[in-house]
Order: sequence, then C-alpha cells, then structure tokens
Amino acid sequence: MTIDPLNLGQTEFASRLLVGTGKFSDNAVMLKAVEASGAQLVTVALRRFNPDRPDDDLAGPLARLPGVTLMPNTSGARTADEAVRVAMLARELCGSPFIKVEIHPNPHHLMPDPIETFKAAKTLVKEGFQVMPYMGADPALAKRLEDIGCASVMPLGSAIGSGHGLQTADMLKIIVRDSRIPVIVDAGIRTPSEAAAAMEMGCAAVLVNSAIAAADDPVAMARAFAAAVKAGMAARQAGLMPMADGASPTSPLTGFLRNE
Amino acid sequence: MNDAASYWEKAAPWRDAAAETTVRDVENALACSDPGPRQLAALLSPVATSRLETLAQKAQAFTRRHFGRTISLYVPLYLSNHCSGGCAYCGFASDREQPRVKLDPDQIAAEAAALHAMGFEDVLLLTGEETPEADADYVRDSVARVAQSFHRVTIESFAMSQDQYAALFAAGCTGVTLYQETYDPDTYQHMHRWGAKRDMTFRFDAPARALAADARSFGMGVLLGLADPVQEALSLFMHLTDLQKRYWQTEYTLSFPRIRRQTGEFQAPHPIDDPTLAQLIFAFRICLPTVPLILSTRESAAFRDGIAGLGVSKMSVASRTTVGGYHRHDPQTDGQFSVNDTRPLPLFCDALRQKALRPVFKNWDTSLR
Repeated sequence: MTIDPLNLGQTEFASRLLVGTGKFSDNAVMLKAVEASGAQLVTVALRRFNPDRPDDDLAGPLARLPGVTLMPNTSGARTADEAVRVAMLARELCGSPFIKVEIHPNPHHLMPDPIETFKAAKTLVKEGFQVMPYMGADPALAKRLEDIGCASVMPLGSAIGSGHGLQTADMLKIIVRDSRIPVIVDAGIRTPSEAAAAMEMGCAAVLVNSAIAAADDPVAMARAFAAAVKAGMAARQAGLMPMADGASPTSPLTGFLRNE
Repeated sequence: MNDAASYWEKAAPWRDAAAETTVRDVENALACSDPGPRQLAALLSPVATSRLETLAQKAQAFTRRHFGRTISLYVPLYLSNHCSGGCAYCGFASDREQPRVKLDPDQIAAEAAALHAMGFEDVLLLTGEETPEADADYVRDSVARVAQSFHRVTIESFAMSQDQYAALFAAGCTGVTLYQETYDPDTYQHMHRWGAKRDMTFRFDAPARALAADARSFGMGVLLGLADPVQEALSLFMHLTDLQKRYWQTEYTLSFPRIRRQTGEFQAPHPIDDPTLAQLIFAFRICLPTVPLILSTRESAAFRDGIAGLGVSKMSVASRTTVGGYHRHDPQTDGQFSVNDTRPLPLFCDALRQKALRPVFKNWDTSLR
C-alpha cells in the first residue's frame, strides 16, 4: 500500500517520521540513525549549531545528508522574544523555512509554555516561517495555533525524554478529530508500537529523539521506528475494524417495539 | 522564613533515619517515582553503600534518558586571587602568603583567546571574596569582556546584592555558582574566620537574590569534607527543591567539590572517600533526575572517567586554578586548589569517546541572552 505523503506548508514529505538529533554519542551514529529512520525533516537546536568547530556541530553534517530538510528548534528559549530571535538567526544560518517553536521556561521538565508559544508562533507566521509549535496536548490551544496559520501542531505524548508514551491519548484524539492541519506527536514516545498507535489514532506524523538516541543500538531502533510509523499509517489508511462494545443482550431492549 | 540553620535542623531526623535504613527501604527508594528526603536518606544510608552497583545502574539509566550520551564541557577562568576572606580550607584566604594578582583587560583577552582556540564555549569566571582590587564592578566588566568571545559565561565569586547580580546578567552573564559550603551553623562559623563571608545569612540568601535578578542558571553545592555528608546532602536537597518552587524558570545544577590538599595544609574534619562521593552523586541523580550534576578536575582521572555518564553530565577539563594560567606557562601564583586530573583537552575527550560519550562544547547560544 502506498503511504500518502505528509504536506507541511508548500512541502511534501514521503516520510512521516521526524527525528531529533540531541543525545547521540557522536555525529557518525547520529547521521547513521537519521539515515536509517528515513526521516526527511530533522530537528536541531540552534544552541547545538557550532560552525566554528565541525566535530561539535550538529547542523552542518545533517544539512549535507541528501533528502534531509533541517527544522531548527528554539530549545533554551523562555520567552516569545527569545524564540523569535533564535528562529531568525537559525533561518539565517541554515536557510530552512521550518522552525520548531519550543519554549519551556522550566528547564527541568521542559513543559511548553502555552502563552509564550502562541505569541512566538503568531510573530513567526507573519515573518514567513513554516511554524511547528511544540505544545501541551491542549485541544483549544491547538485550534488557536491553527487559526493563526501554523503549519502543524506538535502536542506532547508525555514529558520530553520521559518515555512514558501516549499519556495524553484522550486529548490527542480530540486534537486530531478537530484539526485541519497535521498533528504530530512530539515527545514521550519510547517504543515503536507507541509511534504506530499514534499513527493509527490519526496523527499525521511522530517526532522521536530520546527513544532512538538512548537505545542500545540507535541505528537499529531508528529502522524499527521507520517500520512502525509506516505500519501505523498503512493501518489508518486501510481502515481499522470497529471495536466491539461488548456482548449483545439476549433479550433485546427494543423487543417491545416488535410486539403487536 | 528558612535559613541555612533551619535546613540543617530539618535534615537531622532524615540523617538519623538513614542510619536505620533497611534493605527494603533502599529498594522502595529505588522504585519511587517521586523521591523526596526520605528516599534520598535511604540512598545515602550505610545499607545502600552495599548496593552501590544497583545505584550506579539506575543513575546511568536516568542520566542517559535525560542528558543522552553526552558530557557538556566547561572551563574555569580565574580572574583574581585577591581575597578578603578567611576560609580555613581555601588556598586564596587572605592569610595565605602568596603573590596577589588580577587580570587586566589585555590579560583577560589573552586568556579568552587561549581558551577559545581550544574550542571552549562555556566559561566559568572566578574570583576570591570581594576586595577593592576585585569588586563587583570588576567582575561585571570582566563578564562583559569574556562574553564577547563565548556563548555561555557564568561566575563563581562572592555573594552579591540583587542589583549587582542584575548588572552581571545585563553584561552577558548566564548564571551564578555559589556554594553554601556548609549548612551546619557551627562549622560555618568555625571555617569562615573573618570577612563578609562570615555572615552566614547573607550567603544563604544570595541564591534568592541572584534568582530574583533572573539568573538563568544557578549552581549549588556543599564543600564535602567540612561536616556530616548525609546531613549536608539532605539540607542541600531541601534548599534546592524549595528554590525550584519559587524560582521555577531557572536551571539548577549541583556540584560535588571535595576538599583536597592545598596551601596551608588544611585537614578536612569529615574526609569523603571515593565510594562515598560516588554514592552521593548516584543518590542525587536518582532523586533529582533532571538536574545537571557537575564534577571538576579536583577529582582524579580514574574517578572522572568512571563516573562520567553515571550521574555526572557536565565536567570541567584542562583547568588551571591559577590566575593567568592559560596564556602564561609559568603562573606566578598558587592555585585555589590543586588540580588532580591534569589531562589536556584532547586526551580527556578521547577518554569520553572511549566510553561512547560525546564531549559537547556548545550547548547555549548568545541569542538566548
């Protein structure tokens, strides 16, 4: 079965797996994992851009991978102003129209700030970015971000790096049902089966970093995620069978309607 | 209102609980999803000492999950060894006989150039206690100079006022490190023989002043060896978690400075051996899984290589604790403490890579100032 492409702004992506690039033991493993994942949209924190020192730089080597588009992120920003500044600089440095708005004032749990995220997204949309906001799984905020012109919304499954999976599943389902733009689950996914579950639920894509980088074999795990995302999407496209509600009553409740 | 002494008092029953900890308590602490003082006490107990391997495995798993397979690198830059302080344990104390020097702007530029050429992007500026030669204005001006060359500049200096901290941040300072040294009021008075630092309350309140002035990061710690390490650790834990609730937009870090031999031959009243230091690091990693834990070159190469990634996520390297040590090959002063791991940067990075850990030089950006 062919998998429908993912449309973000003006761009079409065959892959529905997006990957992050922090936490790897070196560039060689990171690049191999990105290749194995088949990801075409890859996020890098501006604070890890280091063009002066190639062996410390994440962005340069990724930009040279064929078929990969960089999506810089604003990790480290506490406010909309900072995020906007980071986004402008990142676009200048790598030329990508995509920006992952990531504003988490508390650096310990990295929970996204809805107020600052909304403000930054609004400015960056006006500045012509394809804005991809990382957000709590809040259906109202998702609609607000859609209304101002974001290219997607990226609600969390659970806390970044926690590996707690799709704790927000109920909220994600509401966001997916209501949304006219792609919903990408970002953060919390630990297993390929969770990535598949997000796709079956109707999410347009998933973004994975820690689950790949912190695996014993990151390259093999990247491959496993690629397969799971494809399987989940294929299942969604194939149409899942309806879930049974339970046993049917032996004495039908509507029996009285048939009594003459 | 809390002060250092009240944390020390509150920690006492937990320290006593640590002495009575059972194997079951340690297992419960390891399984706890929301650890507090009870769990920290259990993990610091003598019973937990016999489970050090289990603690290490858990600490490594937590470190890898949150920080990945990376170690952030920073380097200290000593601006001045002028000091008005009387810290009994410190090589800079004003009664130590040694030449007193401070870097002038040209020398700061030379030091910065030497460090930049090595690839560093994260620099910690240090001074002694305040003197007319090295006062808050001098620290602020030095920050402004160094911030031109590096993405991240932090300071470890004397306790300042909120306005002085605000001036530092405006000059490009990202964060402050200030150790309480000890939470035990008796030890504190005994160790800090004269000078402004003798005022324990002023020092204890310094983190809140820096945080109120909007420090982006704040480094805490106790000087290990001065007082009972378990009670110190519990006091520090409660202090940090209380600050986190009030000043929630700051990254807290913890360091584990241990008293080492230095000028003056000070003997630590509570010497800490390697397994105890490791246990402290593992226990803090398990109880504060997202707080960066920092280890300096005070420790040996073997200990540092072993503990990297098992809790510790940030390390200094190639450090000179003398003033002007990076651009002059024959430093004119004694260091604040003697460096144990003296390996040059490439050797240390190779050791990290051998352990499949990535040395990270740049993990911040000037655009975030």
